[in-house]
Amino acid sequence: MGTWRSKIGNALGRRRSLASELEEEMDSHLQFLIDENLEQGMTPDQARNAALREFGNTTSVRERSYESWQFPKFESLLQDLHYALRGIVRKPAFSLIVILTLAVGIGANTAIFSTVYAVLLKPLPFPSGERLVWLGESNAKATGISVTWINFEHWQGENRSFEGMAGFQNVDLTLTGRGQAALTHAGLVTNLFFQLTGSRPMLGRLFTAHDDEPQSPATVVVTERFWARTLSSDPEIVGKTITLNGSAHEVVGVLARDPGFFLRPVDYYLPLRPTAAQSAKRDAHGSMRALALLKPSVTLAQARSDLNTILKRLAKSDPGPEDDHRAYAEFLVNERTEGLARIFAMLMGSVCLVLILACANFASLLLIRMTTRAREMAIRTAIGAGRARLVGQLVTETLFITFIGGAVGVMLSFIGLRLLVELGPRGIPRLFEASLNLPVLVFAAVLTLAVGLFCALAPAFSARNLSLSILLKESSTGSGSNRVGHAIRGGLVVSEIAMAVVLLFTSGILLRSLWIAETVNPGFDSGRLLALELQLPSGRYKSDAAILDFYNRLEAGLRAQPGVESVGAVNCPPAAGDCGDWWYSVVEKPAPARDDVPLTLLNMADPKYFHTMRIPLMAGRTPSGDDRAGSPPVAVINEELAKAWWKDARSALGQHIKLGGPYMKGPVLEIVGVAANVPQMGLDNAPLPEIYFPASQRVSSSMVVAIRTQGSPWALAGTVAKTLASLDSDVPIQSLKPFDDWLGATLKQRRFIALLLAIFAGIAVLLAATGCYGVLNYWVSSRKQEIAIRMAMGAGTIAIIRRTGKQAAKLGVLGLAIGFAGSLFASRWVSSMVFGITAHDPVVLCLAAFCALLMVLSAAAVPIWRATRISPIETLHEA
Amino acid sequence: MSTVDDLPDDKKLELLQGTLEVLILRCLKLQPNHAYGISQFLQQESDSEFLVDNGSLYPAIQRLLQRKWIQGQWKISPNGRRARYYSLTGGGRKELLRATSKWQRFAVAMAKILAPEG
Repeated sequence: MGTWRSKIGNALGRRRSLASELEEEMDSHLQFLIDENLEQGMTPDQARNAALREFGNTTSVRERSYESWQFPKFESLLQDLHYALRGIVRKPAFSLIVILTLAVGIGANTAIFSTVYAVLLKPLPFPSGERLVWLGESNAKATGISVTWINFEHWQGENRSFEGMAGFQNVDLTLTGRGQAALTHAGLVTNLFFQLTGSRPMLGRLFTAHDDEPQSPATVVVTERFWARTLSSDPEIVGKTITLNGSAHEVVGVLARDPGFFLRPVDYYLPLRPTAAQSAKRDAHGSMRALALLKPSVTLAQARSDLNTILKRLAKSDPGPEDDHRAYAEFLVNERTEGLARIFAMLMGSVCLVLILACANFASLLLIRMTTRAREMAIRTAIGAGRARLVGQLVTETLFITFIGGAVGVMLSFIGLRLLVELGPRGIPRLFEASLNLPVLVFAAVLTLAVGLFCALAPAFSARNLSLSILLKESSTGSGSNRVGHAIRGGLVVSEIAMAVVLLFTSGILLRSLWIAETVNPGFDSGRLLALELQLPSGRYKSDAAILDFYNRLEAGLRAQPGVESVGAVNCPPAAGDCGDWWYSVVEKPAPARDDVPLTLLNMADPKYFHTMRIPLMAGRTPSGDDRAGSPPVAVINEELAKAWWKDARSALGQHIKLGGPYMKGPVLEIVGVAANVPQMGLDNAPLPEIYFPASQRVSSSMVVAIRTQGSPWALAGTVAKTLASLDSDVPIQSLKPFDDWLGATLKQRRFIALLLAIFAGIAVLLAATGCYGVLNYWVSSRKQEIAIRMAMGAGTIAIIRRTGKQAAKLGVLGLAIGFAGSLFASRWVSSMVFGITAHDPVVLCLAAFCALLMVLSAAAVPIWRATRISPIETLHEA
Repeated sequence: MSTVDDLPDDKKLELLQGTLEVLILRCLKLQPNHAYGISQFLQQESDSEFLVDNGSLYPAIQRLLQRKWIQGQWKISPNGRRARYYSLTGGGRKELLRATSKWQRFAVAMAKILAPEG
């Protein structure tokens, strides 16, 4: 211990005084010897020489004493670091370029990896989250269909694969009696849900089996956030009631921590209880899915077949139209991130390419620097530096600068990550949890180390081949700098160009898809159009008549406002997605086979909807005031559905749609009109068949009121809210925004990904260009004499350009060719995100190639220009 | 690294690893001494059998200093020269006792084994 302490002390500063003391001591030792020799009668000179001889090698005494003061390995490392730092400071431009290049590469990778970690890799925050399974039903057409109550009960009671099972679904309810009526989000769950998600109460209790029973009193468990914000953290809240959709619910508990299971955060949880129909009929679907905890020894496939056995048994004992339904079971982790893995793999792949580019640039810079430093290395070898020590020093230098780059990169990624989370689409689960946590930092460190070692390797290997005698004779920038080095540098440039082409191509494909989606004709006029989304509280608006009356009065009230051109309402506006779909068939056409019954989207529209939206009518009429509850049921179909069965829209009129298909009960509707397609599933989705019911024949309490305004739609937002409040202040506004926003939101994820890839491609082009420039510039420098001689022999500017240009062109063409091949390969990865073009769109490919060509040309321009400016007289004089 | 000067003299005994430190401690037990004095002492006491190379002596002194077994002090020698005198510390005394008994046991054991059978 004492030794260590004194060694550290020595290393830290006592060194100098120790050294001078040793000198003094050796001096006095020598004096003793000289004195002795003088006594024996030698002349002073003789005495001194004999003493020196007797004393021995003073350098060796000194060195070996020094060694006892220090940690030799550590000391030489410190020395290497000292050299490295000096090297960095002495070449600020080189260092800055290297550090920035690496920082961008490592930073981008760290930021993207942290999102990948948060979204895909991080374990779910539930106990045994990796065994949680998401359950639904499936048939030949669809998977993940909701589970019916009776099927769920049988699954729950008879399975042998799960430790527990809970049903869950979302619902929105109106909270009244606490200030302004507010729309609140509820999670409906059966009692085991809390156990499966590892939730605990902070106050009161959670649900028990008793709460699941239909006749039990209405209870509610609130989240801590809702308790704090809406219930003002009332410590006596347990036992009090809150009014949801007009009926009182007793608060039985407050959750200590919301499990965060529902992707859209919920305010409170209600017991999930079946309706009368659901507990009577096995095919009465709600929107319930189930969550279950797999037993440790059971595989997912075994669990699926277990649940299917139960369904098959039920099909015998309780036959019905859904006897072909099977269980859909998927691990919650996979269910959550379905489709995202590919997107993130694509992002990760592109940042990887960026990092490889950064590495290539760094390695080629190091190689170039190595050749200019070859002399320094040779001299060091000559004065006795061991090869291991030299290589060690080179590796230390490279690692040191890489780590600075890595550190700057982590700082960059911190900023980048905040932007990513800020701009990222809300639909990606857990994206907002991305942070620079320990696993991410470990990733960054390992990445940095790998980059450093890789980049250190290339020059270090060439250092091993340094032949002392050759290098000392050769001029440092002479033509002899080895062929191998040139080949490696050329290879780096080629791969840089190729990677730039690949990234340009993929981002180009996505940008073009985005552009097509942005400019796609939505089938209606979305300008100056305001959307008011409402859901009437079911307590107050029980009957169809009351609902219709409310919407009629609201529309009339809105039409009376100045600045309002027209008003109409629809259940499911464009880009809102699938608000309901069902099987159908056409009565006048041959019945489809049992497995081939087609699906259509269902929607409800009132008479003025198509007019207000300016959705063109291809044939027939829109719903009218005469379509009432008692009148013959009619429907307006969309162009897509008409196209599937008839040669033109007009032929569809008067024909009949049978809902539910030929094998299920359902109403028959007469087709009275055909409307143009609207992008129901979002702007970047192909149209699907759709049926519009008159809103008066199929009544829905949740409608979106479309208001065509004369001026800016925002200017009327206040008026609209006031008109609504004057009718009924207890009806909450779900949303009120221009239709353009509604449509644009569907492209948010696409925009986000296209933007990221475009940024990466931009960085890649920049890196590749600097890489090309560096190598070509070096090529010209190292051939300065050769070029000068050619010029002196009479070669003109054109000849020089041709010669230098040939070198650039060779690398460029090879890079482009490899880039093309890589692009075709990469197009498989983006194919799921392509819209409106093919995944290997030739236009984009040509554009990418053109950009890459431009990049190579601009990178080559300066070196070529430099080559023509070489003065033969000066250059040859120097030599 | 090694030069001609460093080559061991065949006629003299090479010191075993770790012995030099003990010998220095033994020397300083008699009286404080300087490096030159120590080397003289070792040569005389071993009847010039031991080769004490300064390249080994100085580092050995440094190691002893680091272990705090000896301490150094600049003094004026009887013949008027300034020299660094080393003396034993308490720890050094204990170490010498320990090492002496160890070396004695070692020597006895070696002698037993190497003794001619008889």
